[in-house]
Amino acid sequence: MGIHGLSKLIADEAPSAVVNNEIKNYFGRKVAIDASMSLYQFLIAVRSEGAQLTDADGEPTSHLMGTFYRTIRLVENGIKPVYVFDGKPPELKSGELAKRTEKREEAQKELAKATEAGDQEMIDKFNRRLVKVTKKHSDECKELLRLMGIPYVEAPCEAEAQCAALVKSGKVYAAATEDMDALTFGSNVLLRHMTFSEARKMPIQEFHLDRVLSGLELNLDEFIDLCILLGCDYCETIRGIGPKRAIDLIRKHHSIEAVLKNIDNEKYSTPEDWNYAGARRLFHEPEVANAEELELKWTEPDEEGLVKFLCGDKNFAEDRVRNGAKKLLKARGTTTQGRLDSFFKISTTPNAAKRKSEDSKTPNNKKSKTGNKSFRGKPK
Amino acid sequence: MFEARLVQSSILKKVLEAIKELLNEATFDCSDSGIQLQAMDNSHVSLVSLNLRSDGFDKYRCDRNLSMGINLASMSKIMKCAGNDDVLTMKAQDNADLVTFMFESQNQEKVMDYEMKLMNLDQEHLGIPETDYSCVIKLPSQEFARIVRDLSQFGESVVISCTKEGIKFSAGGDIGNANIKLAQTSNVDKDEDAVTIEMQEPVSLTFACRYLNSFAKATPLSPQVQLSMSADVPLVVEYKIGDIGHIRYYLAPKIEDEDN
Repeated sequence: MGIHGLSKLIADEAPSAVVNNEIKNYFGRKVAIDASMSLYQFLIAVRSEGAQLTDADGEPTSHLMGTFYRTIRLVENGIKPVYVFDGKPPELKSGELAKRTEKREEAQKELAKATEAGDQEMIDKFNRRLVKVTKKHSDECKELLRLMGIPYVEAPCEAEAQCAALVKSGKVYAAATEDMDALTFGSNVLLRHMTFSEARKMPIQEFHLDRVLSGLELNLDEFIDLCILLGCDYCETIRGIGPKRAIDLIRKHHSIEAVLKNIDNEKYSTPEDWNYAGARRLFHEPEVANAEELELKWTEPDEEGLVKFLCGDKNFAEDRVRNGAKKLLKARGTTTQGRLDSFFKISTTPNAAKRKSEDSKTPNNKKSKTGNKSFRGKPK
Repeated sequence: MFEARLVQSSILKKVLEAIKELLNEATFDCSDSGIQLQAMDNSHVSLVSLNLRSDGFDKYRCDRNLSMGINLASMSKIMKCAGNDDVLTMKAQDNADLVTFMFESQNQEKVMDYEMKLMNLDQEHLGIPETDYSCVIKLPSQEFARIVRDLSQFGESVVISCTKEGIKFSAGGDIGNANIKLAQTSNVDKDEDAVTIEMQEPVSLTFACRYLNSFAKATPLSPQVQLSMSADVPLVVEYKIGDIGHIRYYLAPKIEDEDN
């Protein structure tokens, strides 16, 4: 579920690191999309009258629907997506995963209760909480992407880390995920809300790591320690230290070791066997495939293949699928618009400092607060 | 203290019409040498560079360099309040958060004061290298506006090719293809109607019609427009603004995709 409260902290402390942008301004950009995150989004959000879309056998197809149409939307806007799928979870995540399983079991119980009481609203709510992305979902999506001519990468471990590695190597422009830990993994550009529905008219939030670091006045190592203090998926946090205190402590002491030496152990109890060093190592050297060796190729969509795969059992309308395939093909044919910043060098950004002090009090951060809330939780 | 007086206020009106389609807001940098503005549109495809020299104003005073962040839609509303023959004076204090536009009628019987709030804007300044362009074409600005408008009906992009015979604009799309060729004019009565081409080597580049159409909004500023092109660099479209300065538009070309 990323880093707890990081986006709010950035909005407060480094507002110039966040830019809201329209999707059409990303033409020509290659973007690595965290597939497990987007599949989960689709399974939750793509529904009709509260129920998931299903095929003839009652198996959900929401993820395929979402992947198909939203990918087309990206491609039509001139974006070149590459999907990155999760591999096995890192060992350090077992604690977090156990928690998620627990929550799921709780939801299951609540659901039983709600069903008994016949409370439709609650049934829907807990049904959504039970959503889980399975291997079958991923495999179907990979097949779909292959037919659409969109490349995908199977990460050996965490997808966010692999996305970050792709950005670092220059293979793609940005990592698109809702998880803020893509920044902690060192992705210079993070895009949120990329795969949201067009109807929500949500602008894309663009985070720049270098501007985050200069805004927070930290270097990358300190930033990683800050994220661990805020709360990541890989270890516990110190009870009683919230975002404000965490940033103050890191700014003053520069590392978790020094922080631990300097805080009052009576007041703040550090967790037993706190494995912050393991989490830090994971952020520094995540298990990723070498991005240099990955070949990303966008190819022509296989219209007949798509019709065969999506229509029939999976109940997609044939004309809409064919239409989609044509859109993909058409978007390939056009030339890409260049950008001036690839010809001329951007030199200065004055006024940024001036704005920062003013903006931290304006509604700007309110917006990101709500954005953050709606995207908590990514059970696996 | 900043003060600039312009007898022909209509110039600033036209300038605003020429940039407000591309930009929502921009910073006017005022210094001893004049007023400058440089800004990219949101998508970073085009850039507007405006230069109004201090000696072109009827009175100009700028004690300290001043950056005025301006919402162009608001400024445009104010400029629309002025008559074409009014005399304009712009005024601002050092470190001000307001700028005043004062319009006086010719007979000085009516004086209008408009105050506008300034904004703090993030600025992205582009360093544009001096370039010797392979082709420099001058043509009547109305002709250019007409060509661009006509070709946008055919497709999203237009190919501009320049050879020593002349310049060719072409577009293609669902309804068919369109080609417009202009040859260098041999002799004309008025300089304004001339088409002149200075060419080192032939160039052919593709551009989005949408932006060219926005550039053509500057047509009322000048009877002639100058296009400068070299292979694989942005196009420059320049309109002279009387003897006070110029407005230049830069547009990144469309490129063939290397991954396809």
